[in-house]
Amino acid sequence: MLKMKQLGKVFHTGEVSTHALREVDLQVNEGDFVSVTGPSGSGKTTFLNIAGLLEVATSGEFLLDGDNVNLLSDSKRSKMRNQKIGFIFQGFNLIPELNLFDNVDVPLRYRGFDAKERKRRIEQQLELVGLASRMKHLPSQLSGGQQQRVAIARALATSPRFLLADEPTGNLDSQMAQSVMALLEDINRQGTTIIMVTHDHGLAQRAKRQIFIKDGRVSELTAVEGLHSAGLERVTPLHAHTVTDAARQLGV
Amino acid sequence: MFELGPIFRALLRQKVGAVLIALQIALTLSIMVNAIFMMQNRSTLMARPSGLDEANLFYLSNTVFAQNYPHQAALQDDLRLIRSIPGVLDATQINAIPLSGGGWSMSLQKKAGEGEDGTGVAVYMVDEHGINTLGVELIQGENFQNTDIRWRAASAVDWPERTIISQAMAEALFPGNWQSALGQTVYINNNEPMQITGIIKTLQAPWNGWDGVERSMLVPYQLEGRNSRYMIRTEPGRRDELMPIVEKALAESDKNRIIRGVQSLEQTRADSYRSHNALNRILLLVIVVLTLITAFGIVGLAMFSINRRKRQIGTRRALGATQLQVMRYFMLENLLITSLGVLIGVAAAIGLNIWLVSQFELKPLEPALLLTGVIALYLVGQLAVLYPARKAASIAPATATRSV
Ligand SMILES: Nc1ncnc2c1ncn2[C@@H]1O[C@H](COP(=O)(O)OP(=O)(O)O)[C@@H](O)[C@H]1O
Ligand SMILES: [Mg+2]
Repeated sequence: MLKMKQLGKVFHTGEVSTHALREVDLQVNEGDFVSVTGPSGSGKTTFLNIAGLLEVATSGEFLLDGDNVNLLSDSKRSKMRNQKIGFIFQGFNLIPELNLFDNVDVPLRYRGFDAKERKRRIEQQLELVGLASRMKHLPSQLSGGQQQRVAIARALATSPRFLLADEPTGNLDSQMAQSVMALLEDINRQGTTIIMVTHDHGLAQRAKRQIFIKDGRVSELTAVEGLHSAGLERVTPLHAHTVTDAARQLGV
Repeated sequence: MFELGPIFRALLRQKVGAVLIALQIALTLSIMVNAIFMMQNRSTLMARPSGLDEANLFYLSNTVFAQNYPHQAALQDDLRLIRSIPGVLDATQINAIPLSGGGWSMSLQKKAGEGEDGTGVAVYMVDEHGINTLGVELIQGENFQNTDIRWRAASAVDWPERTIISQAMAEALFPGNWQSALGQTVYINNNEPMQITGIIKTLQAPWNGWDGVERSMLVPYQLEGRNSRYMIRTEPGRRDELMPIVEKALAESDKNRIIRGVQSLEQTRADSYRSHNALNRILLLVIVVLTLITAFGIVGLAMFSINRRKRQIGTRRALGATQLQVMRYFMLENLLITSLGVLIGVAAAIGLNIWLVSQFELKPLEPALLLTGVIALYLVGQLAVLYPARKAASIAPATATRSV
């Protein structure tokens, strides 16, 4: 479970302070599929980075499974990241010099699994994303959609409970985007909690919960509640937007 | 948990820089090891004992300009005067100075006759105070008596009946049985007999580059001429104090000559090995410069590849790498590159050494030195990569999502 209380993030660059996130109150529960939308520069990536322990909030509290991560050392946070969180990126971020097998192997080595266990997991995950036959290929020999699938395999190889995705379909054509989305939905159905930042309103709507960020403020679009995730606990956002407000901002 | 496998496979896809650095490491290793080898050889040469009590010896030149000078009487007066100065242990007239680069050489042969084989030897002409003055160790036979001493006129070629030779000379004359040299008669100038009446342990010839540098002989000769040299031995620690005193005493005792060239034997040794020392210093400089260039090359390559791989490093952090694990990646990568360099370097070092040994008749390289060089380069590599590796470790995990 992931819980943010009055969370804020300020970037200081020279004289300028950017409030990337303000007073975020949010809880994400086991099994959620949360989509995050919002205009460019609104704080989506910052939100995801904090949720994924890549950045530390400057104010407020962030609890991951009850641990206040702001208080953890960099090394503890890294280990927690490795154990609990899987990341996929807009640019896939595969390591170009390594073949698919070695790419999926990266987080497994940081975890310290033995060779046999790593091999088992790599093969299993690549099988799952349909690329088991290409293990010795380099990322550059694959299409974008395939690369993202490898990235997903890599993110899931450590069996994380949270999968965080920053515009995972942003670099893909719509057909590939659909197939990656289907894969994510599948993964969510197996129990992995997903938070996905996206520009694609259609994909966002397929999530169980939709979060909207503007000017660093997080609000939840409650209209979809009945559709997807009845019965899940919700934290009411401090600065609730109405559905119509949000829809207008999205240009819907 | 080491990740040498994937590091190695990643390196194979980015090999140009790595191979260039590996070659530089190889070059550094082969030159470093052989330069140290040459330095060691030279140092061994320099460390050979001269056999003298070098620390307490000095010498000077006596040049007579007066006509009808009583050379023989004046020489005896001079030596008596020097020996009477408090702090002076002994003094002798001598024709040549060990280590100085200038001296006399003759040839000794076991059989008389023009066609017989001779053995080259450095000749030191001294009186019965010679052994004590030089501080050489008489290990067989006996010293010269005062009655053995002969005057050698400028034109005379009439050698004394007795000689004391160095152990190395005895060994050269009687291979495998140097002790048997004592009492033997050898011939100088083809036909003049001399009896070996003593053997001294060590006395080097004046020429440090001569391969017979240990072969020398003492001859009970006193020189009569306008130029003569006195060797003076002082009590330990009193040399510097006595050098001007002796010079002044001699100069004042007789105004018909000049005393000059007062010099300690230590100075002579320093002069003698000046070029050796200079060459060693140049070799050391070469080693240091090469090592620095290699270290900077490693830093440069690592910085370059880290800058190029910023996002990859951020991604690794996002996937759970600790800062230490990122650092270790680059240290291990350096280990692999250095290993390749060392592999080539060891082969090159041995090759270069075989050539050096064949060219300069040296003993071959010791494996321990090669091993030391290898360890040194691993250390240089790891130290050089430390800073870039720390830079890499400080790359923020958020780089994974921020730098698209
Ligand atoms: N490292 C940083 N330093 C300074 N400002 C930053 C940094 N990262 C993000 N920002 C600023 O924070 C705000 C939110 O950025 P981001 O979370 O990337 O937005 P989004 O992902 O919604 O486009 C932006 O104004 C951005 O310029
Ligand atoms: Mg963003």
